[in-house]
Amino acid sequence: MLDTLIAGLLRGNVYALGAVGISLVFGVMNVVNFAQFSFFGLGAMLSWFFVVKLGLPFWLALVAVLVVCGAIGLLINVTVVRPLAKFLPLAAMLSTYAISLILDNASQIAFTAQFRVFPDVLPTSNLHIGNMRFGTSDLVMLGTTALIMVVMTLFLKYGKVGRAIRATAQDQEAALQMGIPVGQVQHVSFVIASALGGLAGVFIALYVGVANPNSGLDVGLTAFVAATLGGLGSLVGAVIGGFVLGILEAFGIHFFGDTAREIIVFVILIVVLIVRPGGLLGKVPLMSTEPLTGTFLGKGRPIRIPRWVWLVAFVVAGVLVPLVANDYILTTGTQVIIYAIIAAGFTVTAGQAGVLALGQAGPIAIGAYASALLTLYLHLPFWVALPLAGIAAAVVASILASPIWGVKGHYISIATLGLGIAIVAVIQLVLPQGLYNIPVPEWFGTPLNSPQAYYLIDFGVLAVTLVVMWRLRSSHLGKVISSVGSDEVAALSSGVRGRNYKALAFAVSGFFAGIGGSLLAHQYTYIDPTIFTMLMSLLVVTIVIMGGVSLPYGAVIGAIVLIGAMELLRFTPELRIIVYGLVLILVVRFRPGGILVRNS
Amino acid sequence: MKRFLRSAAVVSVATLTAVGLAACASGSAASSGDSSAKSTVYFGVSAATTGQYAQYGEQFKEAFDLAVEQVNAKGGIDGHPVALKYEDSQSDPKQSVAVAQKFVGDDSISLVFGDYSSAASIPASPIYTAGKLLQYGFNNSNPDFTAKGTQYQWSTSITTSATYTWTADYIKKQGIKSVGVSYLNTADWGIPAFNAFKAEAKKVGLKITDAEGVLDTSDDYRPSLTKAVADKPEAFVHIGYGPDAAKIVTQLRAIGFDGTFYGGQDEQSFDGTKDAEGAINGAEFLSSNPAPEVQKFVKAFKKKYPQETEVTGFEAGAYDALNVAVAAAKIGGTSREDILAGFKKVKDVPSVVYGKITFDQSSRRVASPQLTPSILKDGKWVAYTG
Repeated sequence: MLDTLIAGLLRGNVYALGAVGISLVFGVMNVVNFAQFSFFGLGAMLSWFFVVKLGLPFWLALVAVLVVCGAIGLLINVTVVRPLAKFLPLAAMLSTYAISLILDNASQIAFTAQFRVFPDVLPTSNLHIGNMRFGTSDLVMLGTTALIMVVMTLFLKYGKVGRAIRATAQDQEAALQMGIPVGQVQHVSFVIASALGGLAGVFIALYVGVANPNSGLDVGLTAFVAATLGGLGSLVGAVIGGFVLGILEAFGIHFFGDTAREIIVFVILIVVLIVRPGGLLGKVPLMSTEPLTGTFLGKGRPIRIPRWVWLVAFVVAGVLVPLVANDYILTTGTQVIIYAIIAAGFTVTAGQAGVLALGQAGPIAIGAYASALLTLYLHLPFWVALPLAGIAAAVVASILASPIWGVKGHYISIATLGLGIAIVAVIQLVLPQGLYNIPVPEWFGTPLNSPQAYYLIDFGVLAVTLVVMWRLRSSHLGKVISSVGSDEVAALSSGVRGRNYKALAFAVSGFFAGIGGSLLAHQYTYIDPTIFTMLMSLLVVTIVIMGGVSLPYGAVIGAIVLIGAMELLRFTPELRIIVYGLVLILVVRFRPGGILVRNS
Repeated sequence: MKRFLRSAAVVSVATLTAVGLAACASGSAASSGDSSAKSTVYFGVSAATTGQYAQYGEQFKEAFDLAVEQVNAKGGIDGHPVALKYEDSQSDPKQSVAVAQKFVGDDSISLVFGDYSSAASIPASPIYTAGKLLQYGFNNSNPDFTAKGTQYQWSTSITTSATYTWTADYIKKQGIKSVGVSYLNTADWGIPAFNAFKAEAKKVGLKITDAEGVLDTSDDYRPSLTKAVADKPEAFVHIGYGPDAAKIVTQLRAIGFDGTFYGGQDEQSFDGTKDAEGAINGAEFLSSNPAPEVQKFVKAFKKKYPQETEVTGFEAGAYDALNVAVAAAKIGGTSREDILAGFKKVKDVPSVVYGKITFDQSSRRVASPQLTPSILKDGKWVAYTG
């Protein structure tokens, strides 16, 4: 037991450092910063480079890592995050995702993707309590964290800039009116957060022993959960959240195994959020607005599309493309269309109900598995399994998500992110083997497995999806859902039960996600849990934001751009993801409301 | 300023949509490429050059390029030079199916190597089968890649079940009675491997005190490992890859377990890990193998890539794969059908991994592959005769 406790303390330490950075940026900028993940990997690789390749002493390398990470953080904030955060935190969040893509891949080009052995700078196993050995390095890490926390506390309490940071976190506009240079305060916070991220990365590498540019992702995600657990914006909360999560996780793994780790982490998170919707130490504001509210709906309006465009688009995509295009285009087209279906369905939740759910991979996976199992074991035809997969995804996802609708704002995003990961993790526990030989669609005995057939099936489903979404939007129900998203307080005062409508919107989105999952499964004919990743969830969100968050047909444009561009950029394989990230940033910069939404 | 931003926005949006749509156009241009240039034989490679598996994509590419250089220096395939077309799939099924379709549509391609992981290879298999294009999953150790595939799926990778059946036998022969086990809980690799190990261990009477499924994305295995060695097994087995084995062996020593570690992989991060010293596994390829074929390959590789300190099974597997494909093309011919016919006939191809490769025609895998017990000594794997 003591061993497990020590293991938990050590991992909690790293989470706490990362969580403080995330919470700090969130507090002063109201932006969830995905780029923080990249600083973990970057910090680890930079310190490896400084120590092994340049031969610097460890302490000097540590300082250099802090300086480099801080400088990169400043650059990012000045050029991308702050200009967007000023008027659209959601666009800023998307841009931090793009930045993290760029940073990870730049670091991969610089350091290669090889796992590197981290140098033995401090003894790692010279001391022991019971059987559990640990070393000076672990003590130094704990000590450093404690020191940083004390310094940070003093700085925030008594320092002039520190007080300005707190004031900004409390109320940005009031702080501005009191003469606090909010812009500079945000820069400082971003620099501190990035440097702390780098430091956490060095510690991860020291603790684990090997590192590569991607090795921060997992710890980053957990640190992110820790920050939410403690209460976003609360620094003490972040530290407590980090240690609580580290220790509970260690005991959870001890009893249920490492494979249950992600489930343990997110179950802890969801339970805490249900009991305390603002996290352990966060305050729930009396009137909290969803991150989307009053931003997209208020700041832009959709570009009006003449009727003939619809007709032309239908003829071109539905008739012309399948006739003239080659198989490669059609296969890429099926991927585009399937994601367009999933994303179009998602606009009810993200756009109309104003809930930025980040875990669509969950319902997609449920749909894929449901459809595969129904056709494999009950021998149902594809055409029956397809709608059943949608229903299964809607029902299961709704039941699982039902406790979280009392949670608000960014917390609901994190809770759904967790839900998505937990669903896939459960599938991995139950059916780890993957499913083979999933039957292809048939039409009276003729297998429909040519790229052309897949394309036409997917196109038909997309057309139905868009009509359903259009009818839904213009119906009374759709207007009620939109009212919840536009102004929840006003909707509540008019007797609309926001919670229920959010849940309904989520179920509708879940249905289309399940349909999409089913289409994927029958096209791949093989599925396993590694297909339904967090990146899949983020891709769905990105597509929706790209096209215009409440426009179902915008999702089609978003899918063409995001999946098509990835294919087109094949001419520069090395820089593919970096260019992709830059494109994403440019679009968000100039069209923060989405491609089909005009700024007003 | 505002007007400028607006026009900039319009331009960027227009460009992007054009980019997205042109993705299609470029595809058609590529596929209508010159099939008249018959002198060069093209093989496709579907692997990760970016993303989390890029490390392996790099290793494959280095070995492929070396093999192509050598083949062409010796006159190629009956005078036809060989060239490779690489496509990045990130080992992501969403992209590997598009890559497969691209290769199928490109008439100049007569065979495709890849993908790296089974989760990316298997979804692409139906497309290769429909396109009658041979998919050579040279790295797919998941038995189902070929077992559930068709006559178009071939592999020279030893299957995980074969490797870990051998491992259980070997450990038992070393006189060890009980082991603690950790295995990667992945559908395409770790679980079938563990099941094979467990079945063989039961058969030969090797006791598994505790088996913990772990994830290669985790960083901290101490809670799992404390549990796995709680009943004091004599030795420890990790069923996984190099980087996770490096983390596991380090943390296993940190919690005070001193028994032999069976596992790990010939891979830079594992080889360089201090606590990995003395690890034992069954190797397909050893760069210290004195066989002249192997030494010639290692020497040529280090000459071409002086920055690489290690030559591992990944490079060796890719190097072999290219030579097998060339040998098959020399027998059957260079078109898609002919090369498949060649795979059905090819025999005793010189190999740096197996010595000689002959396919078992029913499994489309290497017939009776052999493993060498090897131990990590001073950062190098050497044959072990203990």
